[in-house]
Amino acid sequence: MPNIKIFSGSSHQDLSQKITERLGLELGKVVTKKFSNQETCVEIGESVRGEDVYIVQSGCGEINDSLMELLIMINACKIASASRVTAVIPCFPYARQDKKDKSRAPMSAKLIANMLSIAGADHIITMDLHASQIQGFFDIPVDNLYAEPAVLKWIKENISDWRNCTIVSPDAGGAKRVTSIADHLNVDFALIHKERKKANEVDRMVLVGDVKERVAILVDDMADTCGTICYAADKLLSEGATRVYAILTHGIFSGPAIARINGACFEAVVVTNTIPQEDKMKQCSKIQVIDISMILAEAIRRTHNGESVSYLFSHVPL
Amino acid sequence: MFCVAPPELETKMNITKGGLVLFSANSNSSCMELSKKIAERLGVEMGKVQVYQEPNRETRVQIQESVRGKDVFIIQTVSKDVNTTIMELLIMVYACKTSCAKSIIGVIPYFPYSKQCKMRKRGSIVSKLLASMMCKAGLTHLITMDLHQKEIQGFFNIPVDNLRASPFLLQYIQEEIPDYRNAVIVAKSPASAKRAQSFAERLRLGIAVIHGEAQDAESDLVDGRHSPPMVRSVAAIHPSLEIPMLIPKEKPPITVVGDVGGRIAIIVDDIIDDVDSFLAAAETLKERGAYKIFVMATHGLLSSDAPRLIEESAIDEVVVTNTIPHEIQKLQCPKIKTVDISMILSEAIRRIHNGESMSYLFRNIGLDD
Repeated sequence: MPNIKIFSGSSHQDLSQKITERLGLELGKVVTKKFSNQETCVEIGESVRGEDVYIVQSGCGEINDSLMELLIMINACKIASASRVTAVIPCFPYARQDKKDKSRAPMSAKLIANMLSIAGADHIITMDLHASQIQGFFDIPVDNLYAEPAVLKWIKENISDWRNCTIVSPDAGGAKRVTSIADHLNVDFALIHKERKKANEVDRMVLVGDVKERVAILVDDMADTCGTICYAADKLLSEGATRVYAILTHGIFSGPAIARINGACFEAVVVTNTIPQEDKMKQCSKIQVIDISMILAEAIRRTHNGESVSYLFSHVPL
Repeated sequence: MFCVAPPELETKMNITKGGLVLFSANSNSSCMELSKKIAERLGVEMGKVQVYQEPNRETRVQIQESVRGKDVFIIQTVSKDVNTTIMELLIMVYACKTSCAKSIIGVIPYFPYSKQCKMRKRGSIVSKLLASMMCKAGLTHLITMDLHQKEIQGFFNIPVDNLRASPFLLQYIQEEIPDYRNAVIVAKSPASAKRAQSFAERLRLGIAVIHGEAQDAESDLVDGRHSPPMVRSVAAIHPSLEIPMLIPKEKPPITVVGDVGGRIAIIVDDIIDDVDSFLAAAETLKERGAYKIFVMATHGLLSSDAPRLIEESAIDEVVVTNTIPHEIQKLQCPKIKTVDISMILSEAIRRIHNGESMSYLFRNIGLDD
């Protein structure tokens, strides 16, 4: 069996470090830099011939730079005779552009899938894809890991009265995700739905379900500008919720997100570290992080050893 | 009005540039009704083609007119024998490709295997496989309707126009359900909540979501993700310890989130095939006080015993479009009503052939639809 090499792109060095520590390995030597004309340059600092290579790079920050860096690293390893190159992409870039939802809209997620394949990726490991169907955009295996087991663990360890909670979806699209968590916790669910009573009236948010005298836990796959979840939090409090938490896999937090969270009535906004959160946590004390490095590390270990990865869909590695 | 063509469309409907050929790839005559309606609306004759089964059950296609340099539109309605339907289409597409057709546009109102659009039990993503096969056979464009998941468009390397039936179904609600303002739009499972929201928003009604015991066939609990790890004597890297997460409750009681008491319940979905989940939903809604129950879906597969079960159930009416032929089912069950969507398909064909914009056909469509 070939040896394993794990390289990190520049988007999330901290996560890569945690993954390698858990596996008892060292990060592979790689230099990523930019020329004066802003082109990305990658130099792999050690031999990868015949190796099983894993490249960890999340879709965050300067997203196009991160993406190009990943593609160049994949290609560099491929043409340096790596036996297999796996891209570990905790937060898949452009995942929301996964369908033609209006005329002439691009399906950028499909384009990214093609780019990764053309660069030379043999396998993708990612987490909580915006839509599972994105796996079908690839002609190579895709392991879409779930943060749900880690989320359930966090709820039970950090919300003392979790048995008296309602899991809430901030929109109808997330109802399926929310009911899965509600079922595992044996609690109720609710959802918030846009309603327009008159043709010229502004949308109003309607809560479908009951949160009175309960802890409300908003669950979604990602939060970007946080307008929806902050509005939802206000709605839940006005409907009688005692406390409001938000739990999200990917905390993008762009634009006015931090200011909105600081001004909102959340007890905590809990995200995983698929995207680096250190800077955001300094600006907002409500943000808490669930570490998912052990899930990614275990997926890498199992993939390398040819073991079943499906076990991770219902278990949290310690 | 949602789906009545404006006057300028009516006059232009029959004006098509030369070089359009319309074929039906069905060997089953009951599947050709929709094709005939489309041809009639476009004012063109159906192309001459023979599609039949050899004695050894192989499909044979013989195109009996020239397609060289022409825009070929192949209308394929899915019959009960779905795999034969697929082969008929692929063989006809390939025949047109090798006969030098300029473009080959598949008009497949119901895209088969669309429920198998993500990984389950280490299975195949069959709709992706089908998309690849269609592209390889020579399809240059696809017109379909209400894909089970919009992301299926991304499985193709060709343009896909995913038309919507919702304006026709909304029009039916407004015209055929007199007291529809006292209705609530119901999702029979959380997976359909987005569609329900889309309908509710445009009708300015409330929504309700059913969840529980009658597990949705697409529940992620059935996707084979509970296998134990392989036992290996030597691991290159040491395994981590693991703790199982909370085991899901086996049968969550059926809950209806939202109020349906004293209301008309309109269950909306994209496909009505095996009706058990719809019947269970109807029973639950009746118990919760709904006084009338309608089911609205785009694709009425209505397989096996569905008509009899609907006839004996608490459902008052099942409204589907004619993307799939169901005349036999209607004879067995008068509760089944049909909405004709040939107009939007023929208009899509006309616009594509004339190189016109398609966005007009999506003018009343929300992002969640």
